[in-house]
Amino acid sequence: MNKPRLLASAAATALLAAGPALADCTIKVGVLHSLSGSMAISETTLRDVMLMLVEQQNDAGGLLGCELEAVVVDPASDWPLFSELTRQLITVDEVDVIFGAWTSVARKAVLPVLEELNGLMFYPVQYEGQESSRNVFYTGAAPNTQAIPAVDYFLEELGVESFALLGTDYVYPRTTNAILEAYLLDAGIDPDDIFVNYTPFGHSDWSTIVSDVVEMGAGGKQVGVISTINGDANVGFYTELAAQGIDSFDLPVVAFSVGEEELSGLDTSRLVGHLAAWNYFMSADTEANDEFIAAWHEFIGDESRVTNDPMEAHYIGFNMWVNAVEEAGTTDVDAVREAMWGQEFPNLTGGMAVMNPNHHLSKPVLIGEIRADGQFDIISQTEEVAGEAWSPFLEESANLTSDWQELGCGMFDTETETCVQLTSNY
Amino acid sequence: MEMSRRTAAPVKRRHLLQDNPSVLWFMGLLGLFTLGVTVLSEGFGIGLISTNLVKILGMTLCLCLIAIAMDVVWGYCGILSLGHFAFFGLGGYAIGMWLMYARTEIVIRESLAGSTIPPTEREVSEAVASQIFSVVGSNELPLIWSFAGSLPFQLAMVVLVPGLLALVFGWLAFRSRVTGVYLSILTQAMTLALSLYLFQNDTGLRGNNGLSGLQNIPGALHVPQSVISVWFFWASAFALGAGYLLFAWVVSGKFGSVIRAIRDNEARVRFLGYNVEGYKLFVFTLTAVISGIAGALYYPQAGIINPAEIAPIASIYLAVWVAIGGRGRLYGAVIGAALVSLLSSWLTGGGAPNIDLGFYRIIWTDWWLVMLGLGFVLVTLFFPKGIGGLFDYLVRKQ
Amino acid sequence: MPRPALIATLALCLLVLWPLAPLSAQSDTPLQDVLQTVQEQVASPSRAQVGGVLDVLQEADAPGTAEFLTRWAEREVFERPEDGLFFYARDGADRTLTLIDLDTGEDVAEVTTRDVNQIRVNAGVRREIEGALVTFELLAPDRARRMAAVRTIARSPEADHIPVLESALSEEEDGAVATRMARVLDLLNARFASDSATRVAAIDALSGDITTEARRALNQILSTGSQFAPEIPEGTNVARIRTPGADLDLVDAYARLADADLVPPRPGRNAIRDALRANVSDGAVAGIPVHRLDTEEARREAYRLLQDEGIVPPLPTQAEMDAAVAQYVFFDAYLEPDADVTTAARAALDSTRTSVGIWQFVSLSLDALSLASIFFLAAIGLAITFGVMRVINMAHGEFIMMGAYTGYVVQTMIPDYTTSLIVALPMAFLVTFAAGVALERTVIRHLYTRPLETLLATFGISIALQQLAKNIFGTQARPLTAPDWLAGSIAFNDVASISTIRVAIFVMAIAFLLALLFILNRTRLGLEVRAVTQNPGMAASMGINPDRINMLTFGLGSGIAGVAGVSIGLVAQVTSEMGANYIVQSFMTVVVGGVGSVFGTLAGATLIGALQKGIEWFNPGNTLAAQTFMVLFIILFIQFRPKGIVALKGRAAGD
Repeated sequence: MNKPRLLASAAATALLAAGPALADCTIKVGVLHSLSGSMAISETTLRDVMLMLVEQQNDAGGLLGCELEAVVVDPASDWPLFSELTRQLITVDEVDVIFGAWTSVARKAVLPVLEELNGLMFYPVQYEGQESSRNVFYTGAAPNTQAIPAVDYFLEELGVESFALLGTDYVYPRTTNAILEAYLLDAGIDPDDIFVNYTPFGHSDWSTIVSDVVEMGAGGKQVGVISTINGDANVGFYTELAAQGIDSFDLPVVAFSVGEEELSGLDTSRLVGHLAAWNYFMSADTEANDEFIAAWHEFIGDESRVTNDPMEAHYIGFNMWVNAVEEAGTTDVDAVREAMWGQEFPNLTGGMAVMNPNHHLSKPVLIGEIRADGQFDIISQTEEVAGEAWSPFLEESANLTSDWQELGCGMFDTETETCVQLTSNY
Repeated sequence: MEMSRRTAAPVKRRHLLQDNPSVLWFMGLLGLFTLGVTVLSEGFGIGLISTNLVKILGMTLCLCLIAIAMDVVWGYCGILSLGHFAFFGLGGYAIGMWLMYARTEIVIRESLAGSTIPPTEREVSEAVASQIFSVVGSNELPLIWSFAGSLPFQLAMVVLVPGLLALVFGWLAFRSRVTGVYLSILTQAMTLALSLYLFQNDTGLRGNNGLSGLQNIPGALHVPQSVISVWFFWASAFALGAGYLLFAWVVSGKFGSVIRAIRDNEARVRFLGYNVEGYKLFVFTLTAVISGIAGALYYPQAGIINPAEIAPIASIYLAVWVAIGGRGRLYGAVIGAALVSLLSSWLTGGGAPNIDLGFYRIIWTDWWLVMLGLGFVLVTLFFPKGIGGLFDYLVRKQ
Repeated sequence: MPRPALIATLALCLLVLWPLAPLSAQSDTPLQDVLQTVQEQVASPSRAQVGGVLDVLQEADAPGTAEFLTRWAEREVFERPEDGLFFYARDGADRTLTLIDLDTGEDVAEVTTRDVNQIRVNAGVRREIEGALVTFELLAPDRARRMAAVRTIARSPEADHIPVLESALSEEEDGAVATRMARVLDLLNARFASDSATRVAAIDALSGDITTEARRALNQILSTGSQFAPEIPEGTNVARIRTPGADLDLVDAYARLADADLVPPRPGRNAIRDALRANVSDGAVAGIPVHRLDTEEARREAYRLLQDEGIVPPLPTQAEMDAAVAQYVFFDAYLEPDADVTTAARAALDSTRTSVGIWQFVSLSLDALSLASIFFLAAIGLAITFGVMRVINMAHGEFIMMGAYTGYVVQTMIPDYTTSLIVALPMAFLVTFAAGVALERTVIRHLYTRPLETLLATFGISIALQQLAKNIFGTQARPLTAPDWLAGSIAFNDVASISTIRVAIFVMAIAFLLALLFILNRTRLGLEVRAVTQNPGMAASMGINPDRINMLTFGLGSGIAGVAGVSIGLVAQVTSEMGANYIVQSFMTVVVGGVGSVFGTLAGATLIGALQKGIEWFNPGNTLAAQTFMVLFIILFIQFRPKGIVALKGRAAGD
């Protein structure tokens, strides 16, 4: 941690070239992604993609006759700084919308400020669910639009009966694994056949854990690994898998936090056949995706850069927001929120994404196998699945639902028919 | 000033303020500053200073408070503790538990109030637990949260937990005569162990997520943050003033002479018959308690606390602030902490204009830490007395 | 991607051999027509349905079926959405494909990749297809393919495989393949053979075998199911009888009876609450005012009142529950009905237990040794600068990082991993040696009398270097790839193995230890170093130049850190923060081991590595706990043995 940065106050403002003949008003778009610290590896790309989308929109004539301006700040992978900069973006820079955050901890740090000041944020990363804030639209996957279908694939297609849930020790893996454990028990998996392990961020000593998982194979059942390992630690994990010669046939690994960007630093030739589940893969063969990739390469000036799922999430979220603002005729948060419900926008992988009244998207779920070139072979693509804010598999959330349109509540108890609370858990 | 202090102790006990003229100056400036911020704030004044900045200034005051504690333990007593941020964090956790529990309980009771049958206590505490701990995949209230709903209990914990940890750790370490760099490494190991411990979810303090939403004060949930931020600013200013007074009193007089003597030659003080370990333990524990209080005021303003806050590097930065400000002078620690932390945030926050040299663009975000690091080396090599030494020089000239 | 020669051979051989079962001539129905009868299952295959497709294909026995299956599994079959027909295809330029007819092998059309769907068979389906193809793969002329077929059987064994494998074994000439076949046959026989004697014999052959596949087969035979009944039915192969209250929770047992509708369910807290809620009238439940129902006791009381009125199902008392449970026997029964087989399997599995335990311990010890050697490498440079010279160098971790980045830079310039590693090691030494000398000359030299300030000044260097690395290399983790000959692992058996790179690091740690001992104890430089650290004044008067010696010693310590960086980078990730991750642990390693002694550092690293792995073994789900307790242990250890494991005595101790 970097103590002084805790107090960072001012914002780096990126003024973009003015589009053609725009009125003298600006609509500000806050971009809250870490540009330094441990998460910069993933988040810097999202800052770039936002700058690209804003530029494209200005070239297309701006929004409501106004020019868009991206206000970029650097929360430096420091959770308290996320909350501080959110307050600054809303009260000092007066942005109309924020696109930002990657880790769930960062999102949880931002939530109280957003709800206090009635801000609007688009969160682009797959996450653990169990949340539906009035002020956040979740454009990444909820567990039922990523983890559960992947587990179903393990159960049905690969015949896995014994599960190793390996994760980095923070909220996303913890909650996701709690949901998956409940789901697996429901599916008739013996509790003894579920091995759960958590490691710290940046863990590098994987040999014992990998051996333990291999040893599970002696139990007589097909073993599969569900990895929620995040960030740098994946390098050591996959290196150890390759070193111990683990074949994806004998021990398939499905990862929820490993995409094209993370694989770009690895030698994937020894990882061929292992899996990842997302709502988007760069290898999707559609026209919209080709255009997006071409635009990205042109913007970033590097043909070798990859695209990934959170980038598509920002692409969909930004375009939905633009359409909602145009529909509402204003950037007022409450008006835009209402216009967001039911917004549709085509996915890059085909089909339509729909924003549901629970602030989660309906999107197709894709499962890909790692190829030697670091891309994924899409081996399964479902119809659009509606994201669930609350998991029905956990006892404490089984009766909860979220519907901001009809019920005006993000945490509604269907049994007692009361709104448990209007704000979120932090 | 150095002179007056050296001659004062043996002759006769003089008044505290006579002994430390800086105290009056400091109190006056702090009072003026507090008044100024209040008048300019959004909550109580003309709104020239944003709520955000009020919070930053309030947090800086808390950092100044722990910096003077660090100065007493290191600059006066010669114990280079690289673990005082652990006490800071523990204070924050203790108050954070109450803030989180009490706020959640209010929300839960409100939502259950409408049900046909009143909730049992167990149902309330289960609902609270499930709200707080669902992020770590659990819904049970850990044992250490048993009294989290009680403000007096958690306030007591703010003082007792850091105090007891310092007492036990200090007793073990000083008893074994661990000194110098060994002690520094040991304190560093302590804060490392604590942060690793808190990183675990089994600890019951939400692991890596830490405690969040701390800016919402139970019982004042509808008071706007612009007002709450000023309240906390006042509290922080008061705590810093009181802490300054307390430490000025501690380091003056005979007690102060003894601890300075321990710093300069521990063995000689021991041979003179003083209980060196007792003195050290007292200073170590007292500063730990003050650090805990500083943390308890800091984190409600920051809004979130997590184990990364007490990683070893934070405590090393603390030593850096004190060294740059000037060891052995309380105001030096305040200057160092305020200057370095505010400058860091200004430069790394992107507020400072980047310098274009034509062939290379100096981006402060990238180069500030390099400069801080090298600047710190220069201070250590050439200005061991830090910025405070500059003041001494000016004062003596007059 | 297609390997034409191989495919051709394969196709030829498949045409000859497919199928084994019907001896009649192949039918004339074109393959395409057969496939169209199961169009949907072929176009979007799933594991559940692939069996049906295979049956249809086998039944129809069209020419080219085997080739189709192979290419289907290899994802070389395409579907044209307009008419649902299947094709092979040849890649053309710019995302075009030439479609090839399945039956005639003629080019049909040029299309783009978007006009057709590539059928992506998943791993589960592929396994089924391979299972179907195994019959003739076992007789393939190529030895590797026969081995692959045996592996396929071992992966998903089925009873049908027994006769096929037996006949293949009788014709097998290659010794190694035959051994392997016999072995897999044992595995099959143990589980699927029709008569009990064959199975027991096969199981006995597996006795004492600690391979994963053998234990897997035995465990599969021994899988049990939990049951209950008024009394144990005739012919049940009971594994274990459970006693409620002892090894079976009473409430669970009752709940299982309730699930089977044998007893009324026991309402839980929520059920009681809901029942009360449903029966509120005039602000009271059964006469008890609602506001009093805020304790469990009051609620239960109200519930019993409702129960007396017959409105709600009864709340069984403890005695009633005990009585209900006592009427049944709860037991685990083997799914395998033959008791002889399960007894033999149990015995066979038990016979492996001790050796598996021993090998697991070996495996854990190897991991501990590997961890210890990493700690040792990270700390040994410090053992010199801190241990011998008493200089606290907080930038030591950054020297490790610098070495790792040197390795990375060398690797980007020299593409061959082996050569680049050979170049990187001395390069890393030189770079960090120079950096160390520079640091000693400019900063540390001035602070020899102020150790605490050395700590702070070097910390300043450390944050500056870390940020510099970020500015130069970015925040993304950089790969430092090991050459192929270091990428595998050395496996003693299925239980104990260690990756080669870790062995290499261990060897390197030993080499460093020996080299350092040699330098310190057997060379002029070492003698002078020892002299200067023990008494600089006296050493100077004997003609030794303390300045020069200090400079060289510090450079040596730093250089070793750089080499350690290269080796650590090979197992972990290279980031600007990697040094910071090791610095506190390295200091603790030196302090625990005993300052000033190379052997002490060795002892410290071994202790810490073993301790961490030991704690991990007790609590395998939580790696952080191991680290926490290790640090706590070190704190306590230093309290009671401040001078470390190997404490220097006399004048060498310094104080």
